[in-house]
Amino acid sequence: MLSVRSLTKRYGAQVVVDGVDFEVAEGEIVGFLGPNGAGKSTTLKMITGFLAPTAGAVRVGGIDALRHPQKARRCFGYMPEGVPLHTELRVHEYLRFRAELKGVPSRKIGDAIERSLDQASVADAESRIIRQLSKGYRQRVGLADALLGDPPLLILDEPSSGLDPNQIRYVRELIRDFAGKKTVFLSTHILPEVEATCDRVVIINKGKKVGEGDPRSLRSERTEAFFVRFVGVGTPEAYRDALEGASYRDAGIGRELELEVDGDRVRGRLQVPDEDAIDVLFRAVAAAGLTLRELGSEARSLESLFTELTTEESKGSPVDDDEDDDEDLDEDDDEAEDHS
Amino acid sequence: MRAGWAICKRELRSFFVSPVAYALLVAWLLCCGGNYGFVASIYSSQPATGGSDNPLTMFFGGTLLFFLPLLVFIPIMTMRLLAQERAEGTLETLLTSPVSERSVVLGKYGAALIFWAALWAPTLIYVWITSRFGDVDLGVVASSYIGVMAVGAFYLAIGVLMSALAPNQIVAATLTFLVLVLLFGLGIFQFMAFDLTRDVFSYISIWTHMQDFAKGVVDTRALVFDVTAAALMIFLAIRTLEWRRLTS
Repeated sequence: MLSVRSLTKRYGAQVVVDGVDFEVAEGEIVGFLGPNGAGKSTTLKMITGFLAPTAGAVRVGGIDALRHPQKARRCFGYMPEGVPLHTELRVHEYLRFRAELKGVPSRKIGDAIERSLDQASVADAESRIIRQLSKGYRQRVGLADALLGDPPLLILDEPSSGLDPNQIRYVRELIRDFAGKKTVFLSTHILPEVEATCDRVVIINKGKKVGEGDPRSLRSERTEAFFVRFVGVGTPEAYRDALEGASYRDAGIGRELELEVDGDRVRGRLQVPDEDAIDVLFRAVAAAGLTLRELGSEARSLESLFTELTTEESKGSPVDDDEDDDEDLDEDDDEAEDHS
Repeated sequence: MRAGWAICKRELRSFFVSPVAYALLVAWLLCCGGNYGFVASIYSSQPATGGSDNPLTMFFGGTLLFFLPLLVFIPIMTMRLLAQERAEGTLETLLTSPVSERSVVLGKYGAALIFWAALWAPTLIYVWITSRFGDVDLGVVASSYIGVMAVGAFYLAIGVLMSALAPNQIVAATLTFLVLVLLFGLGIFQFMAFDLTRDVFSYISIWTHMQDFAKGVVDTRALVFDVTAAALMIFLAIRTLEWRRLTS
């Protein structure tokens, strides 16, 4: 449905997108993941024809998008980042204008608008002026616009940025509902979004593709390390003594033990061969007369994989310590990749 | 071309749901009314200037009061067209729809021309008022309005081009104003220059154009000039949009 071949965008000496290749098959929901400024939006702008690539090829629905841009643009609905809309118009006025632009036959415009309003769950705001709508509703109007004319492919740039958690969940459910009916290519810097909605993920960093695959297999492929974290009462020395003595599968589990004092508690984190080592750790600590308050494994999340893939030069700590961090990896500097 | 018409309709709708359109109309009619009142008072104090000469002839291009508002209103009318869409990001949704740059520019230019006609429509009342107090040659009136539309087509096209080039509305309006003032100033220059330069300046002078049209002389040279110049500006605006895909 969508095929991108060695797509490159250069501004003078600065290479923003550097030879990116990927394919999106029909019916797939594919996430395009990368930190801010990685070149996601620029890539989408080249796919949709808003920007001309410096080099490379884009095929949409089998049509060469660079040679036949208008024909290719009939195959997709696009929602740009930030969802720009003509805010002075009413929702149905705006959608009528968009339907006319997209060449929906005039007799079918009414039905087309109704259907896309329905699909994007925005029918109740049909006669409202867009300026007065909340951000979540505007996002849905943008989605309704992308859905007009029933294109087989949806290209969504950061579909849930700037929404509150309820709205995010809502947009994700909407996208999930397209599974099997439409092909969706969405960019995001939010990892749980990919895990929640996508069949496959393409990871990009500094303009280059650094990974591709389905979220689960990507994760297991690279599982060389498994971490256990705990919180206990006592002194760091007591824990170090207790764990250095313990062994699992003929190896000490106390190696690479990180300990830090947090008030009267001790937080610890250590690398183990697999999940069963937790039992050994628990028994060793209990045998030393220490009390644990929390004990858990740190499943290697897509987030840590992402961090590893996108921060190659700072290999010091490949895994992000803040598991319960909020969803935005990097909220600030949204403008970083906005070159247009 | 259906897309172009959709863009034209959308442009007019957006314009008329905003208060700017009405403020502009009111200000415009104040200017025109002032101009007509001024001209009429001159004629009423010196009744027998003779011939087919009447206040309308002077109203259409006989005084600076006709031209100065053009230099201000045209930049305001055209500044939004493309620059606002660029600044607000809606240009991206527009140019990623299955429409050509040509449809986009022509649609917007069409909307500007329609609004231009809407600005002038109320001045038909002056024709009616004048006809109550003297003879009005409708042929001359028609030629005056042809002149107004021709000059408008040229100047609006400059505004469209500047709006395509500028990153935002303020820059677009400023650029348009400067270009119009320059062109108008060069036209005035004909009164100071000699020989060939004088002919060249008079050829591009909308003042000269309008004076002919207002007398009922439809000078095809002036028409051809206005229309080709407008076409060139529109062509350049289309190329600007295409070129922006490569560079922005």
